[in-house]
Amino acid sequence: MGKYIVKRVIAAVITLLVLITVVFFLVRLMPGEPFTSEKLNPIVKENMIKYYGFDKPLIVQYFQYLGNLLHGNLGYSMKFTNKTVNYIIGSTFPYSADLGLRALAIALAFGLLLGILAALNRGNKLDVFCVILAIIGTSIPDFIMGAFLQLVFGIKLKWLPVAQYTDFKHTILPSLSLAFYTMASVSRTMRASMLEVVQQDYIKTARAKGLSNLRITWKHQIRNAIMPVITIMGPTVAAVLTGTFVIESMYAVPGMGKYYVDSTNNNDYSMILGMTVFYGAFLIFCNLLVDILYGVVDPRVRVGK
Amino acid sequence: MKSTRRFAAGAMAILMAASMAAVASPSTAVASESSSAASSAAASSAASESSGNKLFRFATSTEPTTLDPTKGNSVADNEVQRAITEGLVRTIDGEINPACAEKWEVSDDQLTYTFHLRDGLKWSDGKDLTSKDFLYAFQRLIAPETASPYAWICSTAGIQNADDCMSGAKKPEELGVTAPDDSTVVITLSNPTPYFLSLLGSSTVFCPVRQDVVEQYGTDFAATADKNVYSGPFVLSSSENQVLVYEKNPNYWNPDAVHFDRVEENIVADASTQLAMYESGDLDYVSIPLEQTQNYIDSDEHGSYENGNDDFMYINSGSEDQPLLQDANFRLALNYAIDHENYIALATDDVYKAATTFVLPEVSGTNGKTYGEQYGDKLHAFPKNGDADKAKEYLKKAMDAAGITDPSSIVLNVTCTDNQDEKKIIEVVQQMWAETLGIDVEIKQITYAEKYSTVYPQHDYEVGYGGWSPDYSDPYTYLELFRGDNPNNYSNYHNDEYDKKLATTVTETDPDKRLATLAECENMLLDDGAVVPLQFREQHYLMKKNVTGIKFSLGAVNFDWCFGDITA
Repeated sequence: MGKYIVKRVIAAVITLLVLITVVFFLVRLMPGEPFTSEKLNPIVKENMIKYYGFDKPLIVQYFQYLGNLLHGNLGYSMKFTNKTVNYIIGSTFPYSADLGLRALAIALAFGLLLGILAALNRGNKLDVFCVILAIIGTSIPDFIMGAFLQLVFGIKLKWLPVAQYTDFKHTILPSLSLAFYTMASVSRTMRASMLEVVQQDYIKTARAKGLSNLRITWKHQIRNAIMPVITIMGPTVAAVLTGTFVIESMYAVPGMGKYYVDSTNNNDYSMILGMTVFYGAFLIFCNLLVDILYGVVDPRVRVGK
Repeated sequence: MKSTRRFAAGAMAILMAASMAAVASPSTAVASESSSAASSAAASSAASESSGNKLFRFATSTEPTTLDPTKGNSVADNEVQRAITEGLVRTIDGEINPACAEKWEVSDDQLTYTFHLRDGLKWSDGKDLTSKDFLYAFQRLIAPETASPYAWICSTAGIQNADDCMSGAKKPEELGVTAPDDSTVVITLSNPTPYFLSLLGSSTVFCPVRQDVVEQYGTDFAATADKNVYSGPFVLSSSENQVLVYEKNPNYWNPDAVHFDRVEENIVADASTQLAMYESGDLDYVSIPLEQTQNYIDSDEHGSYENGNDDFMYINSGSEDQPLLQDANFRLALNYAIDHENYIALATDDVYKAATTFVLPEVSGTNGKTYGEQYGDKLHAFPKNGDADKAKEYLKKAMDAAGITDPSSIVLNVTCTDNQDEKKIIEVVQQMWAETLGIDVEIKQITYAEKYSTVYPQHDYEVGYGGWSPDYSDPYTYLELFRGDNPNNYSNYHNDEYDKKLATTVTETDPDKRLATLAECENMLLDDGAVVPLQFREQHYLMKKNVTGIKFSLGAVNFDWCFGDITA
């Protein structure tokens, strides 16, 4: 198990380095330049190029960037001129992560519940209900769901605040809007997986041995069926926790989402890089966790390696 | 089957609890962090409310790019700084008011301005505010190593040696600003600049900055609210979590003029969310996005103002890809083919004002009148509904000169960005040109970053949508865009006669003569079809009935709430 983890970590570090290198050079190929304004003055532009060190050869800039990165320094944003990328991520990530975790908790709890209930009641009303819910969840985009919840509970009924993210009441609508899609996909995956597992020989064996239904479902069926859900959880966790542009902007959550979009719109090189490195590292970390979790849930993975 | 179901419910309860618990530990850590920030904000807001104080809340969709007064480069930046800094003078509603300077003298040649500071000026931390703080701010603004995006405004203001200091050819100390004693600031100009005071009073990059504070924080100066000291009617008490919180500055020289005790500026990117917040009572002021304007125009909380934005089609008058653009006849054909009334209805939902001339008529003229009031009827405006016959006539002339017989063989590329409003505008213009002139108009889409960093400055386009927001209220800010040596001459327009005429307005000391010449310059542009004017933007907003004293103006600051008031 130890060797398995070490191998995974080394692979993760290499992936990250490749990512940084590719993105570093790719952003320079984007059309346009970072200093963009309808009132751009050439002398000012020169001064700004020097200020950000863009007058140095690209390869020098690259190694400087890597050197700074080793110290955890992602540099200054070029759009938000006196804020560091570290500060922007540091002040926005907690909000995105908080929203993401709430959404994830809702999505997992209800997604698994619905998936399992649907599988156990295959073909009857409960199953149909769960399937319909799942289809709605996967087919309605989050901005429609978000706007719908905002309109009904915020503006019409006035039960909950329409936007911003200050106390618990403010977190409910954005969390639900964000959770819906993940919940639907979790429940679908779980249902399909449960149905597949129930046909396996070892379930029949367990039943033949006279084990109780509870024991069979809990110990054999769910434990085996949950593997695909864990697989999709890696990238989902990374995506949900690092901010979602639409929901955050709709509910005015001060999270990371808008900076992703803005940084590419503005050609803000250091922000694009910082965001990508952060997101990449987070995604790689989540996938690493998933790999390790496999080993914990399914002993065959451990033995196999 | 029954037992299965009962089991499932039980199992699920356990599973749910487990999944909750699994995320609960990191979740609470994060939650406590954010909720502590939230609760402290809530606590302070509760404190201000409990003392019966006046709270004003509004939203903005543009996040300020910086909190450093010297580095501000947008209207959003200026609007923030306006509340927390105080310059020598303050332009309110177009009028110049004494601010840090109690009085000033202007030399006869209009080249030397001597400002006398008030006694007892203080920074928000209680230290004295002196002329040294102004001197430092000007020198920091112009110094190349500061890399302020708006350093060039010194040259627009006509301050002596501005260009040389900005490029590093001269030292910042050589800029035409001196502080002979602690309460005097002397600014020397290289040419009489009629709009100098108005610019000084509206552009916040000229506001004082404290050297010791800048040096203490280095590049982190003003990164957050606590890393600066303030001179304006308000201090910035927090800049966290996309809310800027302003509180009344007890050390401000004129505390009686300040009525709000606390102001919250919420940075909310989504315009519909802003409206929803306003409707649910979370905001006292909100601006209405273009596509929603017609829904609110009858509301008794609705209002509007001209923000000075002038939108038009840039014509690359020196285009080599489409040589027809070098011919004034072809440019005029493009102009006469636009039915302005129809355009406004189709492209802007009848919200904006049709522009048949180039310079915003509302900019200052002379003797307290606007430019439009004085010269509006003397300008060679394009017809409100276009003129298809004239357009075809001009096109024919241009085609004859170029030896073209079939208009449909002319391909005109129109550049626009992926902005929704802009796309709609371009489609309307495209259709009018194609229908009236019978030419082939193709749309070329680029990103905003490309537009002003490479495409326009390098004149790598044929015709493209653009606009200009004035830095000061004077026709010159628009007309300067067509000066041959102006780096912002995206039109690639070179006309020696125009340049000469425009240059005389820089040295002319008689304001009436100067304005007459500026109007002549505008007529030259219109006669030459150098630009296709489209619209003067009007910003619509909703404001609660109990809010008073908010000023709206065109130029560096649009929404000026500093001296507003709110009743319970």
